[in-house]
Amino acid sequence: MKTGARCLLVCILAAALPAQQFKFNLEHLESKAADMVDISLNASTLQFAAKFLDAKDPEEAQVKKLIAGLEGIYVKTFSFKSEGSWSPADLERVRAQLRAPEWSRIVGVKSAEDGESAEVYVRNVDKKVNGVAILASGPKELTVVNIAGPVDLDSLAGMSGHFGLPKLETVPPVKPKKFD
Amino acid sequence: MDWLEKDRFEKDWLEEELKQALERKNPSPGFASCVAAAAARGAAPPPRRVFLLPRWLPVAAAVLVILGGGAAYRQHQGMVAKERVMLAMRITAGQLNHIQTHVKESRP
Repeated sequence: MKTGARCLLVCILAAALPAQQFKFNLEHLESKAADMVDISLNASTLQFAAKFLDAKDPEEAQVKKLIAGLEGIYVKTFSFKSEGSWSPADLERVRAQLRAPEWSRIVGVKSAEDGESAEVYVRNVDKKVNGVAILASGPKELTVVNIAGPVDLDSLAGMSGHFGLPKLETVPPVKPKKFD
Repeated sequence: MDWLEKDRFEKDWLEEELKQALERKNPSPGFASCVAAAAARGAAPPPRRVFLLPRWLPVAAAVLVILGGGAAYRQHQGMVAKERVMLAMRITAGQLNHIQTHVKESRP
């Protein structure tokens, strides 16, 4: 009887694990933040929301295309009352969850003047992009974005130019020279 | 005094009219036998037309209200989910834009 109950518990935990693995553990930041924006959207919520996105609206059409097939979008923005409320060690605890070989950092920018930094991580599974994480920090703000599932990086980069943001020009690919 | 005479004349005329209208009149000769025959037949007055609602109608109305309410609630939930997705995308796009600007500025 006990063995059966254990098996059932293991099965329930195994079923719950895939849903949890996309979320980062950010509890250490939650306790320090003055304000927090927490958006958790799983696959079913995204599919449901996609039905209400207007394909005729350029912004909504772009989002609809991007979220198709995604397993989840998890966004947390922490606002702090004063500078120094969070330490680099707090950010390091988030980085530690973005470990190789699955995760790799593709972009990292830092501004010593503003005290801001931002990093973009990509999760590769079977040589395909299966997740994107963004860590952006400022003296009094910290944002963690986790997009789980197959992400089209071009579509994601194309988000600039929407939502009232200026469209940034991308570098055109270099054509290989032909030698006669 | 003319108006008094005129008033009296109208009253008299009205009284005469009422007397004639309310004068006792004997029924027609066959009336009694007609009533007796109808009573013997047990003739009942014609039934009143009563518009009864079918029993299923309130149930159907209740089902319609529930379905309509459910659809409205689903629509509301969908709009909330859409707004949340758009907010998440707005935050993500904002951060990406910030990063892209930094990268562009640092490019030689």
